[in-house]
Amino acid sequence: MARKLRVRVDHLLCVGNAMCETYAPNVFRLNDDRQSEAVDPAGDSEEKILEAAENCPMSAIIVEDADTGEQLFP
Amino acid sequence: MTSAVQDDMFTPDVIADPYAYYGRLRDEDPVHWNDKYQLWVVTRHNDLVWLTRHHELFSSAVFKNDPRPAYPAIDESDLGLYEYVRNYQGDQFIQHDRPDHLEMRKVVHGYFTPKSLEEWRPFVQKAVKQLLDAVEDKGRMDVMRDLATPLPVLVIAEMMGVPEPDRPYIRELAEKLLYIGRGEYDRMPILTDGMKGMIEYVSPLVDERLENPGEDFISVLASGEKQGIFTRHQVLVNTSLLLLAGHETTINLLCNGTLAFIQHPDQWAKLKKDPAGAAKLATEECLRYDSPVKSIQRIATQDVEMSGKVLKKDDRVRWFISSANRDPSMFEKPDTFDIERWPNQHVAFGSGIHHCLGATLARVEGQEVFKALAERFPGFQIDNEALEYQPSITFRSLKSLPIHWQ
Repeated sequence: MARKLRVRVDHLLCVGNAMCETYAPNVFRLNDDRQSEAVDPAGDSEEKILEAAENCPMSAIIVEDADTGEQLFP
Repeated sequence: MTSAVQDDMFTPDVIADPYAYYGRLRDEDPVHWNDKYQLWVVTRHNDLVWLTRHHELFSSAVFKNDPRPAYPAIDESDLGLYEYVRNYQGDQFIQHDRPDHLEMRKVVHGYFTPKSLEEWRPFVQKAVKQLLDAVEDKGRMDVMRDLATPLPVLVIAEMMGVPEPDRPYIRELAEKLLYIGRGEYDRMPILTDGMKGMIEYVSPLVDERLENPGEDFISVLASGEKQGIFTRHQVLVNTSLLLLAGHETTINLLCNGTLAFIQHPDQWAKLKKDPAGAAKLATEECLRYDSPVKSIQRIATQDVEMSGKVLKKDDRVRWFISSANRDPSMFEKPDTFDIERWPNQHVAFGSGIHHCLGATLARVEGQEVFKALAERFPGFQIDNEALEYQPSITFRSLKSLPIHWQ
């Protein structure tokens, strides 16, 4: 079974570039301010989530292992 | 409301000090109808962020979707050349809206992620070192000519696999392309010369990369043609765009940032104490304080209300980064250059889906240059304070920045 992730978006950094929505559309959604929010950390595969995080131009996406707390990105 | 502010954005005092002029507009009339050029001037930080993040209301296809004549006005005999400019600009991926923009951006986006660009840092460090080695014994340099101009050319040319001896020619063409943001009525022949020269120059390179794809950026763009996302003309235009976009903006960051340090010795002292540690936030503050790009344009796709004004469908809307980045409602002491400022939510790279593709590269170049200057020429001084800027409403470009040390 896939491990559980904790996914956050730092809103001091997020510029609403929205590429994360493209890479992991079931996890990230833009809010009313057009900044990204991780609405469902289990919505897409870990691979897709990490791809979204790596492709964020601001490195605003933080991905952690929910059980161990290990930071997977950045 | 009619503002008492005059509407000519090209006067010498507005070019020399955009902060006073656009700052006054921001206070008096933040969404201002500029009667002279028939466009909206948007100057508040929150309005800029809102506007750039509502791309469905504000089209980036500012040439394709705008049937009106060029502004400022051009020579009537150059109308044919203006059509050429419209077609050329219209094929840039940045001048597209969704859904096309997303497909185009996806082709190039992966090349410019923070992770991929971090791998370029050693190359940038080596290039900065070589450029500074070349001037060290002379005891002086023009930051513009000897450092800020050649550095981005070296980096972009390396990314594109452009042969070394061609690099001065690219710079020459890039200088002609910069007339896009200028106001001279006879600017069209120079501008189209630059565009035609670029297309001619990159055509054989693109042909070759289609045949033998490599790891370089032209190969990435050319792959977009194979996927049916770009036409050949679009590949050529976007190759030229990246050559240009990576130049002028970075040059301005390096020169304007160096000047900010000259004008604020206390902040220079702070950087010198810990160049490697302080360079990152310092570069962000340089980007905010005297931004490389002053303004960018959109076209309203429908009637939109902003700050009590109604922007009509098809109206031209120009948003001023250099005003938003000094907005007191966003930044504490906005006119103070503070290299430890954090958070620093400047909009030097825009915002939203069109946020600058090369932002991370510009950051790496800025960080490495400011760090190297602080380490190697800690006591440098400016030759004289008489500074001149290019008469552009798009770019905040110094004409030269001579300094000396020893």
